[in-house]
Amino acid sequence: MTAATATDRIPSPPREWWRPATWVAVVVLIAWSFWGLDARWERLLDAPADFWNLGQLLFGDMAFDRAGDLLIDMWESIAIAWLGTMIAAVFAIPLSFLAAENLAGLGTRLVVRQILNILRAIPEVILAIAFIPLLGLTPMAGVMAIAIGSIGTLGKLFAEVIEAISPHPVEAVDAVGGSRIQRFRWGVVPQVSPEIASFLLYRFEINVRASAVLGVIGAGGIGGTIAQTLQFKQFDVAGLGLIIVVVATIIVDLISGAIRRRILRGPS
Amino acid sequence: MAAIDRLPPRPGLSRFTVGATLGALVITVLAGWAVDFDLSGLITDLTRPNSVIEGLLSPDWAQIWSERSRRAFVETLQLAVLGTAGGSIVALALALYATDYGAPHPSVRITLRLINSVIRSLPDLLWALLFVSAVGIGALSGLLALFFFSIAVISKLTSDTLDGVDRAPIEAAVASGATNTEMLRTAVLPQILPSYVSFVLYGFEINLRASAVIGLVGAGGIGERIQFFQGRGEWDKLWGLVILFFLVVFVVEQISSFFRRRLV
Amino acid sequence: MIRFRDATVVYDGGVRALSGLDLDIGDGEFIVVVGLSGAGKSTLIRAINGLVPLTSGSLEVNGREVSSLNRSGLRELRSDIGMVFQGFNLVDRTSVLNNVLMGRLHSVPTWRTVLGRYPAADVEIAAKALERVEILDKARVRANQLSGGQRQRVGIARALAQEPKLILADEPVASLDPPTSHVVMRYLKEISADLGITTLVNLHFLDLATAYADRIIGLRAGELVFDGPGSECDATVFESIYGRSLTADDTMEAEPSL
Repeated sequence: MTAATATDRIPSPPREWWRPATWVAVVVLIAWSFWGLDARWERLLDAPADFWNLGQLLFGDMAFDRAGDLLIDMWESIAIAWLGTMIAAVFAIPLSFLAAENLAGLGTRLVVRQILNILRAIPEVILAIAFIPLLGLTPMAGVMAIAIGSIGTLGKLFAEVIEAISPHPVEAVDAVGGSRIQRFRWGVVPQVSPEIASFLLYRFEINVRASAVLGVIGAGGIGGTIAQTLQFKQFDVAGLGLIIVVVATIIVDLISGAIRRRILRGPS
Repeated sequence: MAAIDRLPPRPGLSRFTVGATLGALVITVLAGWAVDFDLSGLITDLTRPNSVIEGLLSPDWAQIWSERSRRAFVETLQLAVLGTAGGSIVALALALYATDYGAPHPSVRITLRLINSVIRSLPDLLWALLFVSAVGIGALSGLLALFFFSIAVISKLTSDTLDGVDRAPIEAAVASGATNTEMLRTAVLPQILPSYVSFVLYGFEINLRASAVIGLVGAGGIGERIQFFQGRGEWDKLWGLVILFFLVVFVVEQISSFFRRRLV
Repeated sequence: MIRFRDATVVYDGGVRALSGLDLDIGDGEFIVVVGLSGAGKSTLIRAINGLVPLTSGSLEVNGREVSSLNRSGLRELRSDIGMVFQGFNLVDRTSVLNNVLMGRLHSVPTWRTVLGRYPAADVEIAAKALERVEILDKARVRANQLSGGQRQRVGIARALAQEPKLILADEPVASLDPPTSHVVMRYLKEISADLGITTLVNLHFLDLATAYADRIIGLRAGELVFDGPGSECDATVFESIYGRSLTADDTMEAEPSL
């Protein structure tokens, strides 16, 4: 028998039953997904080579002569994202007032919040599918899809901003006998406008990505060109299109990010 | 001279505000022109009876019994689970080794940041398109697409958290002679673990939505059924399927939010 | 064990933290370094384990020139040197035991640390270290639930778990109250004496320095201005180190009596 060691004197660890239970649940979920999925796993081994081949085809010899058309398409996607975001803002701002704790009653709030949740849940692509029969295979379908899709998220974000304002300026307006509109104009608006503008730009960045793909189902923009050229094996054009999407997205992010920081930070 | 004359001049609106607002207006006008902004079609169509709205108002719930729809449903869930599981691990590694304290060498950090930027700029459908072109139609493309897509989402969130981590334990680990990986594992990971798990759950929610649509380009899941119904104009069935799916997503999101609140 | 020869450290921006330092430290010594903030105490300590590189001059630790070490050489050097920090530098969210086990990182294979499965022998070393600072009962407690004094004891245990030849303590008691400071200094002194570990402590409370140090080193504006036993330190000596007469801030106890 060995002498008692310091290790023996370490207190035992706390019994957290839910830890192993969660692990088991997660492992079971992953295992079930793995075995249930009807995928041609053997293709996985070929995948890197396939991807490499595709890369060669796409980027090996890009069709720079089509660059002009592709840039116009990308601009169309950016325009779709911009308009969609702006239209969403027009609806989201009033809705957010109705969803904010400090501005609206409980009944209104619950209803509006649920509407916003539902709108948030639907992917833009599905909305676009719905709008195409109504507006045709045009960019307008994309604009409306992005607009409706963004109202939900923007409404929720704006409501949270409104709920987070300091009551002091509002109180100050009341204390000098201001009207409700004045309380709004001087107490609420100055506090929330920078953050609202910032969130709008942030949503715009996300929407640029969304609108780039809406074209895949025909709602305008560069997504359509990429999908078509891929389908018809015009890889030289598709590759250039992809690069344009990546570069444009990164540029939009950079500019938008800089403007957002400036808005929030104020002049320095 | 009255005191009022000695007041400092009124600051006008800053150049930035004027410039930004003008810029926004100009872009809006140009954008409207670019898309041929015209809502008239929408107004006339909405006021006329049409099958899209009719289908939305009376969806075909029988989809729940359809064998093919159910299989597509399950496939969508499985794709989301596996895509998130694989992507989250790679995302963690990419984020850790792209930090200023975790990168073994500055060149590693710059390369990883570049890779991360590119991955993050591609939307889910584009990934799906690429993989379908490379590997062919089917669930495998969808899985690969979601894998890369969730790397994008999760690594971005994780990176932001890693930038704000407490450096003191890192200094302690370095001072005791730990290797880079050991330092990340013992001094950094415990700090961000709850947030990271929360991001993985969030990534799963995003993947669920993405997996619903990648089928539109042939990468598996209910997207193919949606396209099928759209082609045949069977809007009641389409909406039935979509609404059912998003009810499930809603439930998953509630559960996920519950756990995410507990973690952070 | 430690030899500084004409060592100089100049930071970016021209700040001369150490100027032409010549210093020898032998095995097993218990040394306190005193001086104003910015006098070079922290730089001196951090130069020894290579966290701050020398601008010129030489520094040998155990016969090896620190500035000539590459990354893995530095790691080896540091694994023999335990460091105790003013801010404790613990991982708040994890248990005391896990924090102390970090001291074993240099000898445990990386894959084991990634999975968190440390060998029994290393856990034993960690447990013994915790016993030495009398906090083994809190092994499973999260670090952020401990008091300041308890956290520093864990910090000491972590350094001890490295089985170091040298312990560097950078203002280990600056964030602690007087009774706790005495407890921590006592642990450091006893550990140094019992295990023969060379110990270097930065302090800015002079009464604490004279109470515990065998040898006191005074730095002023990066230069060595005093090197001798605590008994030789009186008010005049301290005034030459600090360049001004003593104030109540310089001693820990209410009555400034050295």
